[in-house]
Amino acid sequence: MAGMELLSDQGFRIDGRKPCELRRIQSKLGVFGKPDGSAYVEQGNTKVLAAVYGPHEPRGNIVKLQDKVVINCQFSMATFSTGERKRRPRGDRKSMELSMHLQQTFEAAIMTELYPQSQIDIYVEVLQSDGGNYCTSVNAATLALIDAGIPMKDYVCACSASYLDDTPMVDINYLEESSGGTELIVSILPKSEQIVFLSSNSRLHEDCLNKVLDMAIKGCKDVYLCLDETVREHMTQVSASFSAD
Amino acid sequence: MPTEECIRIPGERICRTDKGLVAGRGTYECNGQIYSSVAGMQLKSDKDGKVHIEVQREMKQNVLPEIGMIVTAKVTNVNPRQCKCAIISVETTSLSDPFRGVIRSEDVRSTERDKVEMYKCFKPGDVILARVLSLGDAQSYILTTAENELGVVIALSESGATMVPISWNEMQCPATYAKEYRKVAKVQSDHITQNG
Repeated sequence: MAGMELLSDQGFRIDGRKPCELRRIQSKLGVFGKPDGSAYVEQGNTKVLAAVYGPHEPRGNIVKLQDKVVINCQFSMATFSTGERKRRPRGDRKSMELSMHLQQTFEAAIMTELYPQSQIDIYVEVLQSDGGNYCTSVNAATLALIDAGIPMKDYVCACSASYLDDTPMVDINYLEESSGGTELIVSILPKSEQIVFLSSNSRLHEDCLNKVLDMAIKGCKDVYLCLDETVREHMTQVSASFSAD
Repeated sequence: MPTEECIRIPGERICRTDKGLVAGRGTYECNGQIYSSVAGMQLKSDKDGKVHIEVQREMKQNVLPEIGMIVTAKVTNVNPRQCKCAIISVETTSLSDPFRGVIRSEDVRSTERDKVEMYKCFKPGDVILARVLSLGDAQSYILTTAENELGVVIALSESGATMVPISWNEMQCPATYAKEYRKVAKVQSDHITQNG
């Protein structure tokens, strides 16, 4: 990529952010009427919708579990979500993998033992993709679960980080993601700082791992503050309209 | 008695578990602290000498039938051994989508339980009150109507009119005066307000 510097001499990234800066986060709860909970999250140019149904009786070929709820996640990307218009059938390898990662992440946070023999569906749709699909999906799904009133131990916040020119960078966008550097994805429960999901898609030197991980965790906590603000605002509105009735 | 209302969000620490405080609905206990697990209002209520801390959402609660609860169900299928039904509400909350329930012939009434004829107790379309006996197998909840207050509440006759109960096992159509057999519920006022 000639002529393109991911990190300028002045220490700014390609989209003008500093290495420790997140993209702008905008979020909204309760965007649909039909699902039990729904949310919309924008992180820069990555835009994700999430809808949660349940807990309800298991449908289809899902096997009931006697001691806990079954969490069913479906991740999909819209045809128009990337630069190149492409039909994206559900159930391709990449989205299946992401669905599974989402499921594992939320099994750690949802209090699954409260609803035996039931099922919770989480549907996530990426409307516009500019890197960090998984992270934005997790953040959107967390908000949707809160909107649905499903008991969770804590929020789940996810953030990515990369390492370039001896500098850890947080919340990387598509250009930075596809430049060939490492992408480290972390999901945490921000109150207890427990890591629920951690993945790295290429090699990273052991010495750098802690720096990048710390950066990603700090990013998660910043994400948490943004989500928290949205939830509190939403709750105040809801309770105000509730007490007005 | 609810007091001290304030907004709580998941993962927020509410208080320590000492001083007789117990984690109620919408909260969980971890390392001697009570945390909120849903977003909603914090409530305090006294139950058998202990103070329960609860967090309640204003909107509908996610309810599931539990053992001993009274549910309202609609009969979908009757055969000589059992009667299948769709649970449409639990106590006072109506469900957004129904759960499957089943009443076995021996759970229909408390007397002469071996002589029960299912076709003389329920017909598809009847609305019944029943108690959850057990969570049942993987398919459905097991319900019972073996109490005077439980059984058929609303039933339509063959002519389509809502029938009037005339005894514990008979209902009459107000249009044709035809009598039909049902396991009739002796509906009590407190049950009516509960299911109103």
